[in-house]
Amino acid sequence: MNTLPKPRISRRPTIPLVWVVPLFALIVGAWMLINEYRNHGPEIVIDFEDGSGIAVGKTRLVHKGVSVGIVRGAELKPDLSGVSVRVRLDRSAAPLAAEGAQFWVVQPEISFGAVRGLDTILTGARINVTPGRGAPARHFTGLEHPPLPRGRDGSRSFILSADRLGSINPGSPVFYREVKVGLVESSRLSDDSTSVLIRFRIEAPYVALVRTNTRFWNAGGFAFKIGLFGAELKNTSLESLVSGGIAFATPDTLPLASPAPENTQFELSREADKDWLTWSPRIPLNSPEQSAKDTKAPTLAPLLPAAGKNE
Amino acid sequence: MNRHPSRSASLHRTAAFALAAAFLMVPANFVPILHSELAGDVRTDTIWTGIVELYAKGLWPLAAIVFIASLVIPLFKLAGLGVLLLSVHHGAAPSHLRPLTRLYAFLDAIGRWSMLDVFLVAFLAGVVRFGAPAQVTPLPGIVAFALVVTLTILATRAFDPRLLWTPVTAPHPSTQGSG
Repeated sequence: MNTLPKPRISRRPTIPLVWVVPLFALIVGAWMLINEYRNHGPEIVIDFEDGSGIAVGKTRLVHKGVSVGIVRGAELKPDLSGVSVRVRLDRSAAPLAAEGAQFWVVQPEISFGAVRGLDTILTGARINVTPGRGAPARHFTGLEHPPLPRGRDGSRSFILSADRLGSINPGSPVFYREVKVGLVESSRLSDDSTSVLIRFRIEAPYVALVRTNTRFWNAGGFAFKIGLFGAELKNTSLESLVSGGIAFATPDTLPLASPAPENTQFELSREADKDWLTWSPRIPLNSPEQSAKDTKAPTLAPLLPAAGKNE
Repeated sequence: MNRHPSRSASLHRTAAFALAAAFLMVPANFVPILHSELAGDVRTDTIWTGIVELYAKGLWPLAAIVFIASLVIPLFKLAGLGVLLLSVHHGAAPSHLRPLTRLYAFLDAIGRWSMLDVFLVAFLAGVVRFGAPAQVTPLPGIVAFALVVTLTILATRAFDPRLLWTPVTAPHPSTQGSG
């Protein structure tokens, strides 16, 4: 007969298997917490003059249509001159908090010339941002109005002086042959208040169209004239009819006048002289890198005969 | 502690589940449980911000219910389990045996009621799906919370209340308690 095998007695008490449960819970819990707080970026403070529409824990900071942060607090400034809004950025958005960043509140806006931010009727206001490029910063001053679309590199701004503003607003288009080539940026009275100064920006591919002898006129609205030789209706595009606008033409003298440098000041005429509309200089659009890839019209425009009623 | 295998197993399981629940209490309370977009009201709530929001909106009875069901009960259960485990470990005074057994019965009874939040989130997420204007999305915090509740229930179930009574026969000075 075989004897029974000797029992092996382990001295060390084994740890019951059930203790993997808390171990597992610890790992999962830690992972969840890390996952939650890993997304958190820095907190920044934005000063606004007016905090209407901003709700703590709800209002989002949006860049290019994507939420990149959320409002964590909104307090009156100590001197009661405005509100300080604290925004916690997502981690991925931390780099946009740099000097030069612009913040503005987007609310639904329906005006004669534009309909903007309609989605905010349902979602509440949001704060839009354009990233800065300078040194990292934590404290910003918000804009009261949306900034105008930033000119691409190579765009150039000029100044017009007019005897009255007419229907020109920031954002009004600037036309060359009824092609929109720029935007009005701002307007103000001149220092001696004898005229209105209008600042506008011409986009990069079209900068060469503006020469030192270029003539500008107000293309907004429409004029209806009845004279000895019949009636005449003047208007340009529907867009300029609604939101005001500026048109310009450059004399086709040979050789062409030199391109106008930044901030050149021009006169704004009430309307175009007949012969301005017949000017048709050949001006190569000097933007090899831009015109090649993202504009197709401008390369053809100067070569085509001027179309339509301007002739 | 290894005198009775069943006793040891019961205590180990209770302690392990309770500890796991305690670990998960942290993410359950600090990780958001719910993302809601209702009529433009976009918010991400943890349990605590949800309670505060209910209270701020004047729904304080509801806030009280959620507060008790989601914070007080789980914490009370963990504390109660801790008391039970320590009592077994150190041996309870006989005068405490009856209250401790009552405590166990109470913990067992209230366990499932903490699932209120989980049901609420599951219900909302299932019912409120209208796309852009109204949308409720559960977030990971609610999973941690459901695990906490489940683990405390498991811990309570694993606990054998008879263990409270066994040390009475063990060396203890006073044996003529109120019983």
